[in-house]
Amino acid sequence: MAPAPVAQLSPIDYAIMGVYFAAVLGVGWGLRRLTRTSTDFFLSGRSLPPWITGLAFISANLGAQEVIGMGASGAKYGIATSHFYWVGAIPAMVFVGLFMMPFYYGSRARSVPEYLRLRFDEKTRTLNAVSFAVMTVFSSGVSMYAMGKLLNLLLGWSFDVSVLVAAAIVLAYVLLGGLTSAIYNEVLQFFLIVFGFAPLVALGLYAVGGWHGLSSRLAEVATARGLPAGAYTHTWSTLGDATQNPIGVEWFGLVMGLGFVLSFGYWCTDFLVVQRAMAADSMTAARRTPLIAAVPKMLFPFLVILPGMIALVLGAGHEGAAAGQGLVPAKLAAGGGPLLDGAGRVVLDYDLATPMMLVRLFPSGMLGLGLTALLASFMSGMAGNVTAFNTVWTYDIYQSHIRRGASDTHYLWMGRVATVAGVALAVAAAYVAGAFNNIMDLLQLVFAFVNAPLFATFALGMFWRRTTGHGAFAGLLAGTAAAAIHHGLTLPAGVAPGVKGGYLGVLHTFPSELAQTFWTAIVAWVTCFVVTILVSLATRPRPADELRGLVYSLTPRPSDRGLPLLARPWVLAAAVLVLTLALNLVFF
Amino acid sequence: MTGAPGLDIRLPIGGLFTVLGLLVGGYGLATSADAVRYAPSLGVNINLWWGLVMLAFGVLLLAAATHTRRRASARPAVETAEGSATEEREHRLGLER
Repeated sequence: MAPAPVAQLSPIDYAIMGVYFAAVLGVGWGLRRLTRTSTDFFLSGRSLPPWITGLAFISANLGAQEVIGMGASGAKYGIATSHFYWVGAIPAMVFVGLFMMPFYYGSRARSVPEYLRLRFDEKTRTLNAVSFAVMTVFSSGVSMYAMGKLLNLLLGWSFDVSVLVAAAIVLAYVLLGGLTSAIYNEVLQFFLIVFGFAPLVALGLYAVGGWHGLSSRLAEVATARGLPAGAYTHTWSTLGDATQNPIGVEWFGLVMGLGFVLSFGYWCTDFLVVQRAMAADSMTAARRTPLIAAVPKMLFPFLVILPGMIALVLGAGHEGAAAGQGLVPAKLAAGGGPLLDGAGRVVLDYDLATPMMLVRLFPSGMLGLGLTALLASFMSGMAGNVTAFNTVWTYDIYQSHIRRGASDTHYLWMGRVATVAGVALAVAAAYVAGAFNNIMDLLQLVFAFVNAPLFATFALGMFWRRTTGHGAFAGLLAGTAAAAIHHGLTLPAGVAPGVKGGYLGVLHTFPSELAQTFWTAIVAWVTCFVVTILVSLATRPRPADELRGLVYSLTPRPSDRGLPLLARPWVLAAAVLVLTLALNLVFF
Repeated sequence: MTGAPGLDIRLPIGGLFTVLGLLVGGYGLATSADAVRYAPSLGVNINLWWGLVMLAFGVLLLAAATHTRRRASARPAVETAEGSATEEREHRLGLER
């Protein structure tokens, strides 16, 4: 027997969802005549202003893993989750805008793998293109799986229908308007998330007596779990010792693993986000894209993490036999009772923290809006993956290996076929996905294997002209192998060897899964860095002539002269960094 | 400039939020006497107030988009020497919208 749904929707809620679906399809319809060439379809004809590409830049990343996962992490780790933003995103976004965009945009590469082709060689490009294509399909599937499961649990909707309808809508608007359609809907989703979640946070804070009330209630939770009282409401002060904070990481692993390796690996090399900047209408616009994106990004913790934190303490006091904590319910064991961990404590279903907040605080009407915002983030996350996938497939795999020199119309057609295939594969992946408690941890693990070494390759490629294609290729393989070996030889505390590590024997035990993930990334990065340098020194470099516009020392610096002060990338970057530092200090 | 040539992005977003504002705000107005309904949101008629905020946001975007469009259709700026000089200056200064 299926459990009763948590919430009942009213006609008004369905009406709101209906309006949203009409709007996204309307955008696709309105843009259908504007996609005539493959550049229109894959790169929006490089015609968009920076505020649009900037909002799309963060929205493309604001899928299921973000909204649900960050709420879950907020309930699990507290305000320290904002390290994923203030340490794990902003510095990398500033770096990609200032230093890397000149090569991505300036080289006229149509994708990140294509930049690797221009800078290194075909094999490096293909390696990156194939692993990226697989990853986009996979994360899209994970996202869809999460959506289907959540809608089933919350509203009693059929998993199959939810997944297929969402996939069909995404498919329709991407087919009609290509990347522009995806980007427009990402901007639309950005506003929906802001308008859907801002009142949730406001009501939630009001209910717990503001930040002060939240802090004192979370202090009780922390003490009860054997942590310092401020563990959930401070970002840095408990990071000296991995056993003293809920994340279970010490500051060095966090800053190097998350802040440097994983963050730069994602924001600086992931085509899903870089594609948004490549759609910008000028070099300056492309450089400003991640910098503009950084401003809302640094404020997102308040929108997506706070609901999880509030959920942990809201309504606390009447914890019955069902034994969740606050609004966060317990995971259910096979027998129907709450699931217990090895120590006999109840395992909480953190992924429900944010959805439960929506259901408990919003009356019908606003509930429809909040759920629509969630749906929008699921769908536009999927569209982001699909548009990145079809571009990489068409340009980097199909055009370079299967059919060269065909007409532009042919590649546009191929892009549409790839869109259909990508959505179909993602739906298949959705049915395969599942098994992890926290979606974020799973995605971080995948990043660690494939993405962690990537930034070493790009950094060396862009800033050391001696780097060779053989070096890059060997480095990437070695880095990914190192990640797998490190993961296989270590284990988070309290977990049996298996998919979470230790499959090659256990040499070291980390205090938490995230600590293991961060250190896996660090090992992969260092291995890739060292191997790339050694192999590069042993192989023949390309002549300087061929590297103009692709390497820092051989590329003229873009000039900001003539731009108003506030539009200059450097000024914007400095402002963003100062504000981020201030946020870290306020919540130290 | 506010979007790909052909579709100003403020139109669909402004349109969506106008309709959402009317729907949610109108629903809030119709249910404003129902205290039980608004007990979970701590007695605040969040539908009414937030509906009004969304309506204002939507109308603002629509107004901005139609304003730009009307100005643009009055006379394309690039057609006159003065206009193209202005465009050039605005482009240089990054003032264009």
